[in-house]
Amino acid sequence: MNPSPMSRSRLLLAGLFGLVALLGLGAYWLTASSGEAELQTSVSVSEAMAGDTTGYRRATAPRAFTFPDDYGPHPGYKTEWWYVTGTLSGPDAQPYGYELTIFRTGLTPPDEAPQPPSDWRTNQLYLAHFAVTDGANEKFHAFERFQRGGAGLAGAQATPFRVWLDDWSMAGPDSSAFPLRLRAQQEGIGVDLSLRPTKPRVLQGDRGLSQKGPGSGNASYYYSYTRLATEGRLVVSGDTLSVTGNSWMDREWSTSALGPDQEGWDWFSLQLDDGRDLMYYQLRRTDGTPSRFSEGVIVGPNGSARPLDRSDVSVEVLDTWTSPDGTHTYPVDWTLRVPDEDIDLRVTPLFPDQELDVSVRYWEGFVRVKGSASGRGYVEMTGYGDSPGSPVS
Amino acid sequence: MTLLHRSSRRYLTRHPWLMGLSVLGVAIGVAVVVAIDLANTSASRAFELSAETVTGAATHQVVGAGGALDDDVYRRLRAAGLRPSAPIVEGYGSLRRGDRTFQVVGIDPLADAPFRPYLGTGAGSDLDLGTFMTDDTALLSARTAEALGLASGDTLRVDIEGTTHAVVLSGLISPQNERTRRAVANLLVVDVSTAQRLFDQAGTLSRIDLLAPAEGSAQRAYLDRVREVLPDGAQLRRSDTRTETVAQMTKAFDLNLTALSLLALIVGAFLIYNTMTFSVVQRRALIGRLRALGVTRGEVFRLVLGEAAVLGVVGSGLGLLLGVVLASGLVQLLAQTINDLYFVVEVSELSISAWTLAKGALLGVGTTLAAALPPAQEATAASVSTVLRRSTRETTLRRRAPGWAGVGLLVAGAGSLLLLVTEQSIWAGYGALFCVLVGTAFMIPWAVVGLSNGVRPLLGRVAGVIGRMAARGVVTNLSRTGVAIAALTIAIAATVGVGVMIDSFRGTVTNWLEQSLQADVYVQPPSLVFRRSTATIDSTVARRLRNVEGVKGAYSVRRVTVQADVGRTDLVAVEPGPETADVYQLKAGSPESAWPAVRAGPSVLVSEPYSYRYDVGVGDTLRLQTDRGQQAFAIKGVYYDYGSDLGVTLMSRSTYEQYYDDRGVSGLAFAAADTTSVDALIADMRTSVAGLQDVLIRSNRALRETSMRVFDRTFTITTVLRLLAIAVAFIGVLTALMALALERRREMGVLRATGMTPPQVGGYLTLQSSLMGAIAGILSLPLGYVLAYVLVFVINKRSFGWTLQLTVPSDVLVQSLVLAVVAAFLAGLYPTWRMARSSPALALQDE
Repeated sequence: MNPSPMSRSRLLLAGLFGLVALLGLGAYWLTASSGEAELQTSVSVSEAMAGDTTGYRRATAPRAFTFPDDYGPHPGYKTEWWYVTGTLSGPDAQPYGYELTIFRTGLTPPDEAPQPPSDWRTNQLYLAHFAVTDGANEKFHAFERFQRGGAGLAGAQATPFRVWLDDWSMAGPDSSAFPLRLRAQQEGIGVDLSLRPTKPRVLQGDRGLSQKGPGSGNASYYYSYTRLATEGRLVVSGDTLSVTGNSWMDREWSTSALGPDQEGWDWFSLQLDDGRDLMYYQLRRTDGTPSRFSEGVIVGPNGSARPLDRSDVSVEVLDTWTSPDGTHTYPVDWTLRVPDEDIDLRVTPLFPDQELDVSVRYWEGFVRVKGSASGRGYVEMTGYGDSPGSPVS
Repeated sequence: MTLLHRSSRRYLTRHPWLMGLSVLGVAIGVAVVVAIDLANTSASRAFELSAETVTGAATHQVVGAGGALDDDVYRRLRAAGLRPSAPIVEGYGSLRRGDRTFQVVGIDPLADAPFRPYLGTGAGSDLDLGTFMTDDTALLSARTAEALGLASGDTLRVDIEGTTHAVVLSGLISPQNERTRRAVANLLVVDVSTAQRLFDQAGTLSRIDLLAPAEGSAQRAYLDRVREVLPDGAQLRRSDTRTETVAQMTKAFDLNLTALSLLALIVGAFLIYNTMTFSVVQRRALIGRLRALGVTRGEVFRLVLGEAAVLGVVGSGLGLLLGVVLASGLVQLLAQTINDLYFVVEVSELSISAWTLAKGALLGVGTTLAAALPPAQEATAASVSTVLRRSTRETTLRRRAPGWAGVGLLVAGAGSLLLLVTEQSIWAGYGALFCVLVGTAFMIPWAVVGLSNGVRPLLGRVAGVIGRMAARGVVTNLSRTGVAIAALTIAIAATVGVGVMIDSFRGTVTNWLEQSLQADVYVQPPSLVFRRSTATIDSTVARRLRNVEGVKGAYSVRRVTVQADVGRTDLVAVEPGPETADVYQLKAGSPESAWPAVRAGPSVLVSEPYSYRYDVGVGDTLRLQTDRGQQAFAIKGVYYDYGSDLGVTLMSRSTYEQYYDDRGVSGLAFAAADTTSVDALIADMRTSVAGLQDVLIRSNRALRETSMRVFDRTFTITTVLRLLAIAVAFIGVLTALMALALERRREMGVLRATGMTPPQVGGYLTLQSSLMGAIAGILSLPLGYVLAYVLVFVINKRSFGWTLQLTVPSDVLVQSLVLAVVAAFLAGLYPTWRMARSSPALALQDE
């Protein structure tokens, strides 16, 4: 089975958030100006990933996935996420992109879960990111929320499928996850979308077990829907637009840690017009080289999946972009080649400034694909600008 | 320095004792006023500061109909995307360590930042979200932790309503600015889940904080969105209304303390008047000569006022210092009283405001100058020749005494009129009281002449010539004796009035408690606010107690605060039993119709203070916020209740449960079976709930005693004020008699020269001052009664709406009389001693 670059990156990100919350990080401050709680930190990715996994279940061997249960939460594992990105077109074919991700983190191992004296007492912390790329106006909007997984404020359940944090939610009809309805709105930006898979689910890695690093257990359970037909409404700059497009959904849970020599990742999820979907991530090591755990998958129009490893793929950075405050520099122009598949792509963002300036800063944005095939997709990059060893800064 | 100034200085320094005492009198008067003001200000500052801090940036709040709000409301707000919003569960608890009361605030660390940013800003703060949210942990101000010798990781023992909880100190709060640092000194910050556990209120919140946009139309739109989401029971209100309500609660209480503190200053004013009068009279010869030398009336006038100003300034300055010292003692007494009666407030320091000090100084100097005006006028008004002769003045005064009495009568009459034409104003009540005091003071010289002349034959028979002389002397020195007696009369009358008022109050409360406490055993959770306890008895405890063998009947009381159309209302839900009609005495409405109505449905009774405060009565309708929305309740009766001056609305338990979701109980009352002794039942009850919530299980008598102890505690400040007024009066009498004695050295010389022995002169003087004391004592009784009457039927009624039975205890009257005579006697000792020792020859050399 295919290893999963996507899961790797998401895992790292979620682990990061969990640790941010867990450790407090000494830089937890709450700002009144932005209107909501923010956990602001300046830690580096690798620093935040040094986590304690004692007491949690680990992903050590392939397992049988059962549905609808596996749409729901897996509280025995420390981190978990429901991740969706999509590229959309407006009524006049203007490009829009969105990201809605809900993370679940166990603050304490499940067997230590306290007998709740109140619905509010919980060791489950939820975190969500919602971002919209407004291609028409070249504007990027990103929001972050935290919520406890108690008192009905945030949570996840398999039947009927629902994951939510306040008024942000992903919900299915009674018996299934699909058509999946995504709803999120904040400060005049919002989505209300319906997602229907056009390809079967892909189990990543080895039958859904995706190895993240050396050592047993440094892995996740991971599956994806690489192409979901999407339609609905998008609210941006005061207008409500009808949109259609394709989305990508990742589901992943694990109790895993980033190796000490790993500092971040670059992740590509590309939907090509020829019907193929390509995903590839490379974990960057402190010396700037990609880790051997970098992986990918290529999914054919019929849903057949072929795993990729580091030797199958080459990525070359053509240009970089520095955040307005000058602290983070990201690659923003690549060539991505998979010679065995006759893939030679030029990947460029719709516009460079798609950085989420949230508690852990990262870049996640809408990209255009040209070359041997055209298409659209998303790229996620973390770990840039946090330490001097960043390969591109 | 001009000749006049030098003469003035010389005069002041030649009478150090007299001037010193006058200064002291002013100083005490100012000190009392300043101290009360400072204590009041400090208490309300402390409350405001903590309220402001806890409210933080919230502009609006969602509150429940009763004390609690279903936490589903918060879910609804969040699900509607209404952010920022933050849940709060709050209450009070005491920390075993240091025995301090803390405001326990349950927050959601993930939602709280926009409201209370200071909670997370500690430099190097290692707030561990995991621990904070999943364990019973708390944050405490760094400074408080240091003061209590606590460090992160220590286990705190927190007592809440009789249950001790262990909470681990997981972090320290150290806000950036000093003001906030002070404000958080008494905060214990916990997670919402922890707070729900501590206060045993799973599923409910105290309130939800909101941050509405500042701009008008945006704010309206926002609030409309909020209202759309809120269920019937929940209510949206501005966050500052809470502080306002609280200020409203203690308004009457504060006002009465301020008025009483002014009393000491008024007595002090008499003192100044006396001293200045004396100084003028004593220097009449000098003033006459000065006038003859061409000094103008204006200059003389300014001279006298200037001297008074010196006394006033020195006295006020001293008074400010004394006031601050006194205030640091009073503020804790005051805080205790507020805690007993109204709400929890922890006053950790005195906040000294420049404005309070300025007011005190202005009041001191102003009063002094006002009191010196008549003597200054006196000094300038008389023609040159008559100023030289003192007897002229005494004769004039005696002749004018009846006229003054008439004026006094008019003033007192005006005061009474003031009472008749006003209905609610407390200040008018005190204004009237002041008029009566001043009016009486005008009448006193006339009364002194009458009384002295009346007792002269009697004293003559008892003590011969000396007795007749003593009586006669009081009249012939009327310019001095009159003022001294007036000062003493007023001071004693004030103590009689306040004493009788407290006693009447106490008697009324005692009767009421006897009437209303008819069950055998009472059970309450410990509460920080004695009179308005909304603490809840643990449900297990309640169930076990009801099942103890020997319990014949059990009744419960629930006390909560709800919102009514008229304002925040203390609501009491009772389980009415057959005896209930006896327990609550109706002032309006008939028990036959009121109780069945209250049992049956949406009808309530209101307590007398409530009826007065909100001007509602039988036949009116009260709209209360309930969990089913706003609901109209017909008022079927007004009952006597002396438990709370804020007033109470009473409904039956069944009605309460129909309209409110709360099922808690604040108090239980049990009747013992005939075969069971109350003591045995109490012992059994204690055994049955051992190890559970530490509730107070008390017999009827023990509860009554506790109530009276609290009652007495709440009057401690009043008693202190009363004693201080007496102290000032005592000083007044001392200075008056000293002045008199100094001035009569020549007369004494003559008496000695004509053959009176020193003991005879001593006896003469002692007898005379005792006579003055007796006159003051006798005059103070009717005046004291009038004051008590006004305090009981006007001031108390207007302030709190209570009907009290005026009882005049004979011991208060006897005490006052004795106090007057003893004070005068003691005050006469020193002058007597001095005069008896003085050489007649020296005294006669005067001229």
